[in-house]
Amino acid sequence: MATSNLYLLCKAMNNLRVNHIVKRTGHYTTLRKPKYRPPYWFMPKERVVSEDMLTQENRDFLEEVKQDKQVLQKQMESPLANVEMQQATEWTPFTRRVGLIARKIGNYPLWTKDGKKFQTTLLQVVDNHVIKYIPPEEFNPMKSGKMKKEHWKEKRTLGCLLVGSETIDPSTVTKDYCGMFTNVGMLPKRHLCRFMVSPHAQLPTGTPLYATHFRVGDCVDIRAKTIDRGFQGVIKRWGFKGMPASHGVTKTHRRPGNIGAGGEKARVWPGTKMPGHMGNSWRIIRGVKVLRVNTEHNVLWMLGVAIPGETGAMCYLYDTVLPLKKLKTAPPFPTSLHVDGLPLEYYDESIHAFEQPTIKFEEA
Amino acid sequence: MSLVFRKSFDLFKTVKWILRKDIRACLSSLPEKVEKINAVEVEITRTGRRPRSQNPMLEYRHIYPEFLPDPNPNWRNSLREKLERADMLERRKQIDIPEFYVGSILAVTISDPHAQGKTNRFVGICIERKGCGLRAEFTLRNVVDNQGVEVRYELYDPTIQTIQVLRLEKRLDDKLYYLRDALPEYSTFPVDMDPEILPEGTAVPVNPVQVKLKPRPWLERWERQELKGVSNIEEHLKEKDRVRRELRKTPWEKYDLMKQYRKTVPIEDQNEIWGEVYNQLQQMRMSTKKTARKRVITAPKSQLG
Repeated sequence: MATSNLYLLCKAMNNLRVNHIVKRTGHYTTLRKPKYRPPYWFMPKERVVSEDMLTQENRDFLEEVKQDKQVLQKQMESPLANVEMQQATEWTPFTRRVGLIARKIGNYPLWTKDGKKFQTTLLQVVDNHVIKYIPPEEFNPMKSGKMKKEHWKEKRTLGCLLVGSETIDPSTVTKDYCGMFTNVGMLPKRHLCRFMVSPHAQLPTGTPLYATHFRVGDCVDIRAKTIDRGFQGVIKRWGFKGMPASHGVTKTHRRPGNIGAGGEKARVWPGTKMPGHMGNSWRIIRGVKVLRVNTEHNVLWMLGVAIPGETGAMCYLYDTVLPLKKLKTAPPFPTSLHVDGLPLEYYDESIHAFEQPTIKFEEA
Repeated sequence: MSLVFRKSFDLFKTVKWILRKDIRACLSSLPEKVEKINAVEVEITRTGRRPRSQNPMLEYRHIYPEFLPDPNPNWRNSLREKLERADMLERRKQIDIPEFYVGSILAVTISDPHAQGKTNRFVGICIERKGCGLRAEFTLRNVVDNQGVEVRYELYDPTIQTIQVLRLEKRLDDKLYYLRDALPEYSTFPVDMDPEILPEGTAVPVNPVQVKLKPRPWLERWERQELKGVSNIEEHLKEKDRVRRELRKTPWEKYDLMKQYRKTVPIEDQNEIWGEVYNQLQQMRMSTKKTARKRVITAPKSQLG
């Protein structure tokens, strides 16, 4: 887009007989690709806030415009509601649906109908909207690691769907970041995430996503960043045992001990477990069951407390890839619509809802 | 820069809190100290009524401490707390969870798939009460066949059928772990104990009993914990223990306002929370009172019959 514009400009300038403009063609990109190429949606987001010396009136005006835009965004209807669902294809076990961006909001216990207690993690799906779909032909990601090898053949069967979460004030982010959203007619979002989807599972821009995208009893994979623990020793980082507190041990209570032998192996082997930075890395926990869904606040209750990150961290959910926990029946496809009159809460059949009477066991 | 800002904000909040603290009593959800309780009692004897603070809702922090969230800001989230409170109220609609304190004697009936008759009843003294939200729990202690038994119950466990307060009272301490090292008669309670009914409108009495500890070894260093409910602790101490107790004392901690602030939920949040649940809790209390009154009237008849 930009190069073509420049090209047009150059043409216009040539017509004006201005000859000192150097034309820059895209030979660099065609011949040799850069080693690291971030995805194009990866725009610098943070903006340096400067004092604009605006008058109070102008400030108010800007605020008004902002409010109007947000109101418009909220009133926007789901594009799915108008589209006739006839064109939509059926779900098969090989289709990949879009995922959700959620925030971890805490843990609390739920009880099953046979009186057992389970800890659950609450995930809130915050204001998710589809931003853009990139079809498989146009999607050209960076290949790294195993994929880089010659024999790997790109299949290009999955498209890329960008999903954003939490609308923010456009003046707080850079122009580039904001431009990605305004190009498709949305307000900028705080979190932006990519989901690989089958082409027939694509969604139009502006489709809101809700927690009912997942049903109770389904299993999902969750990708999130772990808690940043900083530089840690081997005991915390790798679970080493350390050495005794007494019996003549001096100055080596929490140290790793030996890290290599002599002879041919007289060096430190690669991958030796040593102290270092711990946490703040991406982890995927697979096959987490949804136990309960709140449709009003878009909250999911997930089984277990092993979801990475602290309270308030964002995580990305999508249908599990585990073969035994994969979806067996058709889920809401391509996603669930917002329908009035949904029940407030969905419970898994094993879960005891708190409004149910006390659990009593029958004598056999 | 942001750090400085946050620090100054923190400081500002603290100062605000300190100023507020001067005006009214400490807002911690922990049970009040004994001296304060005594002071309250004195007031009661004077006026014959329960002292009313400026906001009656805030009184509920002693009766329903689990409705206040954990004060650690890293674990807080307003939506989660709201959902949790809604679930707690739903459970409270199913069973009557009465007002009780550490030191009260309770009888708890739970459904147990392995018990005869599928229910299990346990009577004991509440030695601790902790946790917030749906994780709230309490521990009962009793001596059965000369063997000390402690059972921990979750307050909102749906297998709990009834919680009955047999004797509503407080003790001199917040936690009664020392009953484990006390003579067994202090934690022995008959299983067929009758519930004692307090006249309406009286404050919760404080039982000033002081237990006698067994000789050492003990489970904990009780001498360092400034316990009020133990009478013979000095008998079992050696000079060494007294010296070390003096060394380990932290008399400055009661002046550590920041520490106290971090242990409490800010009053703005408390007002919001109690404003949300007060009406429902009040209704539940009234309905339980009504049924209790009916039971009092009908009980002697059934005895006669």
